[in-house]
Amino acid sequence: MSPGAELVRGVGLVKRFGGIVANDAVDLVVAEGDLVGLIGPNGSGKTTLINVLTGHLEADAGEVLVRGRRLDGRPPHVYAGMGVARTFQLTQLFGRMTVLENMLVPGLTRPHSRWDEVARRARGYLQFLNLLPLEQLPARNLSGGQQKLLELGRCLMLEPTVLFLDEPFAGVHPRLREELIARIRELHQGGRTFVVVDHDMESILRVSRRLVVMARGSKIADGEPAAVRADQNVLAAYAGL
Amino acid sequence: MRGLHVYVLAVVAALALLGAGHFNAYWLHVSIIAMYYGILAGSWSLLAGYVGLFSLSHTAFASIGGYTSALLVKWLGIPVLLGMGAGVAVCCALGGGIGWVCLRMSGPYLAIFTLGFSEIVRIVISSEDDVTAGMAGLHTAPLFRSATRVPYFYAAFALLAVSLLLMGLLVRSRWGLFLRAIREDEQAAGASGVAVARFRILAFAIASGFAGLAGGFYAHYIGIMTPGVGDLDEMAKLVVMTVIGGMERLPTAVGGAFLVEVLLELLRGYGQWRLPLFGVLLLLTMRFARNGLLTPPWLGLVWLGEARARPLAPARDLSEKDSAA
Repeated sequence: MSPGAELVRGVGLVKRFGGIVANDAVDLVVAEGDLVGLIGPNGSGKTTLINVLTGHLEADAGEVLVRGRRLDGRPPHVYAGMGVARTFQLTQLFGRMTVLENMLVPGLTRPHSRWDEVARRARGYLQFLNLLPLEQLPARNLSGGQQKLLELGRCLMLEPTVLFLDEPFAGVHPRLREELIARIRELHQGGRTFVVVDHDMESILRVSRRLVVMARGSKIADGEPAAVRADQNVLAAYAGL
Repeated sequence: MRGLHVYVLAVVAALALLGAGHFNAYWLHVSIIAMYYGILAGSWSLLAGYVGLFSLSHTAFASIGGYTSALLVKWLGIPVLLGMGAGVAVCCALGGGIGWVCLRMSGPYLAIFTLGFSEIVRIVISSEDDVTAGMAGLHTAPLFRSATRVPYFYAAFALLAVSLLLMGLLVRSRWGLFLRAIREDEQAAGASGVAVARFRILAFAIASGFAGLAGGFYAHYIGIMTPGVGDLDEMAKLVVMTVIGGMERLPTAVGGAFLVEVLLELLRGYGQWRLPLFGVLLLLTMRFARNGLLTPPWLGLVWLGEARARPLAPARDLSEKDSAA
């Protein structure tokens, strides 16, 4: 099912918060060229899984490998340096910094990066995301949808091989949602790998080529969207049928 | 004129240098102390304003720098400048250590932790009479053998100028951008590839080093070190200076130190009432000018320079000039 080389692999990931098991021995492989939709009811452990796979949470058990290298226990910037980028469920920008500065930060963390070259690349991505005229505005002054786009742009500045997008369509105006979907598709066609978490089934089915379903901390289905949607376990857990 | 604010600063500095010879001993002393606080305010602004680490141990590091230098000069007979350098090194190391211990702390937790550290330093210095001379005060070797304060004025000026230059270079570099990103959102900074822990420790070490430099100079200028140099009153004064000036920019923070120090002297006739006056000024600043009283005029100066640099330039059509990725 996975079309290319393995980029991120989570093996037997367990994460508990007190007595609650948020991830219960979850295995997930993300391969080059994937466009994975990660869905599940509220509290099913999707965001926890993304947090563990990007270094923002340390798993209680299990391993995280990025391009075959074990990274669990390492801080998030190590994952970013290995080409793993992410957005957050609630948009987390550098609010009092300008739009351009938000883009410069990840670009300048790259080894041997030059300020002028990074700024040129940042403006290119801002143009791609229709944010260029706003480059001097503080990021907190953008609309919710524009903030989601900027967060995506900030990820792109890392030149990532895989992007984890946590609820990118939540609270976004339909017009900007269309723009976001178009940009994700375009970037995927350009060779980027995506894992997209969202509750908006319509949007996620429009973008994803593979669907992973979580319920009560476990992965209950993983495959082609059409097959997964027909899965009885999924219908029972996700749709309550 | 692009960089108008830099020219204005240069003119003010040149006037101060030229006028130093005409100041009387009293105003020379006030100016020197203002520059001491200027280095402290600038470096505390680096930590609290740029990185968002609200540490209350900054004057404790000034005290550590001063005592380290004074004691090394006294015990080992090393030159004063070498003692001051050692004070800076000790403060950098200790500051880095505090930064490491506080990695997971922010806001009130960090403030309380650093306040605790500051009190430990003060109590240890007060109690260890045999080493530090305790409350009686430790007599220190002078930096210059001079009958006037003029050499101290120039030394303080040089230290302030070099400190501001180095801190300015830091905040304008990519490291400065990373530090501000950490202030805004540590999690997002980490996701953007910023080594958050490393930069937090570095910020603590650098800011503490500058505090140690200020403390070392103060020790060898004033001639006596007492535990009061690093106590909570001094820290509160430093916070007032920085906040009233504007803690998110180095020049406004340093300006705040000058403003408050000079006003404290001008209002000396009001005795203890001048201190509540500053409390009221702080409250008004927090209520009506949270970025500090000097930030609006400073930004106005920057804006004026930028605007005058391109008065007739048409609005740039960004979409036409920049290419897509």
